Amino acid sequence: MTTTTAPTTSEASTGAPPKLLMKGNEALAEAAIRAGCLHFFGYPITPQTEVPEYLVKRLPEVGGVFVQAESEVAAVNMVFGAAGVGVKCLTSSSSPGISLMAEGMSYIAACELPCVFINIMRAGPGLGGILPAQSDYHQATRGHGHGDYQVLVLAPSSVQEAADLMLLAFELAEKYRNPVMVCADGMIGQMMEPVVFHAEGAGPPMADNDWALTGCEGRERRIVNSLYLAPEELHAHNLALKEKYDRAARDEPRWELYGATEGYDLLVVSFGTMARIVKSAIDELTDEGLRVALFRPITLNPFPYAACRDAMDALPRDGKVLDVEMSMGQLITDVKLAAAGSREIAFMGTAGGVVPTPDEVAARIREELGAG
Amino acid sequence: MGSVAIDDVRCKGCGRCIVECPRDLIGYSNELNERGYQYVVFKGEPEDCSGCALCAIACPDEGIEVWRRPDAQTFVTTTGLTERMTHYCPGCTHGVVHRITAEVLEELGLLGRAVGIAPVGCSVLAYEYFAFDMFEAAHGRAPAVATGAKRARPECIVFAYQGDGDLASIGGNEILHAANRGEKITVIFINNAVYGMTGGQMAPTTLPGQVTTTSPFGRDVADTGRPLRVSELLASLGTPAFIARGAAHDSKSAIKLKQYIKRAFEYQRDGTCFSFVEVLSTCPTNWGLSPNEATRWVEESMKPCYPVGVLKEPPSEGGET
Repeated sequence: MTTTTAPTTSEASTGAPPKLLMKGNEALAEAAIRAGCLHFFGYPITPQTEVPEYLVKRLPEVGGVFVQAESEVAAVNMVFGAAGVGVKCLTSSSSPGISLMAEGMSYIAACELPCVFINIMRAGPGLGGILPAQSDYHQATRGHGHGDYQVLVLAPSSVQEAADLMLLAFELAEKYRNPVMVCADGMIGQMMEPVVFHAEGAGPPMADNDWALTGCEGRERRIVNSLYLAPEELHAHNLALKEKYDRAARDEPRWELYGATEGYDLLVVSFGTMARIVKSAIDELTDEGLRVALFRPITLNPFPYAACRDAMDALPRDGKVLDVEMSMGQLITDVKLAAAGSREIAFMGTAGGVVPTPDEVAARIREELGAG
Repeated sequence: MGSVAIDDVRCKGCGRCIVECPRDLIGYSNELNERGYQYVVFKGEPEDCSGCALCAIACPDEGIEVWRRPDAQTFVTTTGLTERMTHYCPGCTHGVVHRITAEVLEELGLLGRAVGIAPVGCSVLAYEYFAFDMFEAAHGRAPAVATGAKRARPECIVFAYQGDGDLASIGGNEILHAANRGEKITVIFINNAVYGMTGGQMAPTTLPGQVTTTSPFGRDVADTGRPLRVSELLASLGTPAFIARGAAHDSKSAIKLKQYIKRAFEYQRDGTCFSFVEVLSTCPTNWGLSPNEATRWVEESMKPCYPVGVLKEPPSEGGET
C-alpha cells in the first residue's frame, strides 16, 4: 500500500490519505472495492440499501459487475456462482434477508468458497422493525443454515472500523476459503463519519488457485460440490471444515480493551454500536473516579474467549461483569462461555430498535458498583 | 458392411435399441450382465447392418458404437462425458440428454470453456458424468448460480441442467428472473412430469389425472392446478430469448433435440440471448411403465400437453422477431 488516490480533500496534496465523510453503508461498499471486490449481487432491504445504491454507480467505474437479484435467495446463489468461478464477490442484506440467505450460506461454506456478506442488522423477530438492533448475534455466530459450518463474523463499531474490517473480511475469506460476515447494525450503516481508505483504488483480484471453475482447458476438470453420499467421506469433509474453524479460532480472535485497563472494578462486555455508547459512559464514569473497562469483541466468530476470560480474571474478587447488548441475551451466551462459571454475569439489554443512551448505561454501571 | 459394438456391461437392457433398429438386428441376450441386467446383443451378420446408428442415438447409456464400414465410424462416444456409468434407471432418458449436451459442446469446441450446474433431483450426480467443470447447486437455484458464474466469467459457457421439481416448482422464481434479465446462459429443463429422485410425487408438470404417490387418485386440476408449461411462460416474456421444447424418447426426437441444444449453445457462444431447451423425458420407474410403454406415453400423453418445437427465437440482426 502506498498513498491513496481519490484526491477529494486538500489533504490529498500533502500525500496523506484523504479523510472522507461517508455513511457507514457507503464506506463498506467503497472498502469492498478497495479490497478488490468487483462483483456485487444483492436485493434491497432497509437499512442496508445504500450499499447497492452506491455500488451500482461505483462498480461500472472500475469494470465491475452489479446485479440486483430477484430475492435474497437468488442473490446468495449468484454469490455462490461468482465465488465458484474464482472472483471476489459480495452481497449485503439485513436481518430478514440474511434469514433467506441461510440456505446458500450453508452451501457456500460446504463448498469452501470465499465471499463476503454484509449484515446491517435491524430489529426482529419477524418483520420486526427497521431500527438498529443486535438481535442477530446468534444467527451470525451460531449458524444460519443447516449443518456443521461456520461463518467468520467481524463487528465494527465505527465507520472507519467498518471500512478497515471490510478489507480484513476479504483477506480472511480467501485465507480460509469461507464466507465472512461483516455484522454491523442500522446505526453504523446509516451514520456519517470521517473515514480514511489506506488501500489505493480497486484492490487485487483473487489469487490464482486450484479450485475455481474457469473452464477445464489445459487442466483436469474441477467440481464445486457439497454432496457426499458416503458417510465416511462426509465425516472426513466435516473434520476438514472443523480443522479450519479451529485454526481460525486459534489465529483470528480480535478484540479491544478500553477504559481503566490498568485496573478496573467492573468490566462491560459489548460490541458494535452498543460498545461505542458504553465507551461514552465509561468516559463519563472515569471522570467521576470510577474504574470501569470495556471488553469489545471485534471478531464475534471466532469469539475471543481467552482474552475475554483474561479480562475478567483481571477484576478483583468482588469485581463485576456486565453484558450490554441491543438484544435479549445473545452476546451473553459467549460471555458466559468465557467466564465458564467463574463469575456471575449481569445483563443489560434492549430490543426493538431502542438504543440505550450513555447516561442509561452509566446509571446501570453505577448501580452495579453501588455508586449510585 | 456396418457393425455395432454393444458394451454389455453398460447396457441396462431397456431395449430402446431393439425397437429402433430398422432391420431388427438387436435382441436380448439370454444372459445377465455383471450388474444384473439382461443386456442386448447384435444378432445379425455385419452385412445386414447399414450403420445408421439409430440404436446408439436412442441408447441412454452410451453403450453402443457404430461403424458404417470398418474404416468409417458413424457413432463415436463423446469425450464430453466421463466413462462412469450413470445411476439412472433403465429406460430413463437423462442419459440421452447428457450425451447430446456433451456432444454439442464437443462439436462446438466449447468443452474447455464449459461450466455446468447440476440440480437437486435425479440428475444431482450429473457432475460425475459431464467431463468438464461442474457445480452442484441447491434445489431450484441453478439459474442464480449460473447468473453469478456467467456475469463473473463471461468467457465461460455456463449452463444449468434442471428437472421439473427443481426448475418449475421450487426454482420457479430463479428461472423466471434469469430469463427475464436475459442472462446469457443456457438452461436444459428435463420435464418428466414427476418427481423422480424422491420416488414419484406430483410435479407442477404432472398431467391431469396422472397418478403419482401424492396424487394417488390422479391429479385433480381443481385442487392442484393445471400442468405448468414453463416454455410457454418464458416465451411470453418480452426479453429476447431462444426457447424450444424437444423430446428424448426415441432417435428421431433425439436428433431434433440435438439441433435445439446446439442452437441454444450457439446463441450463448455468440452472446446473443438467454437460451432454454425443455426436454420431454421418460421416467418408466415412476410412471409404472416399461421403457417402451414410456416412449409411447410421451407421444400419446405428454406431447398433446407439451407440444414440441421452437417457441421463441431472438430477433434476427436488424429485424423483428
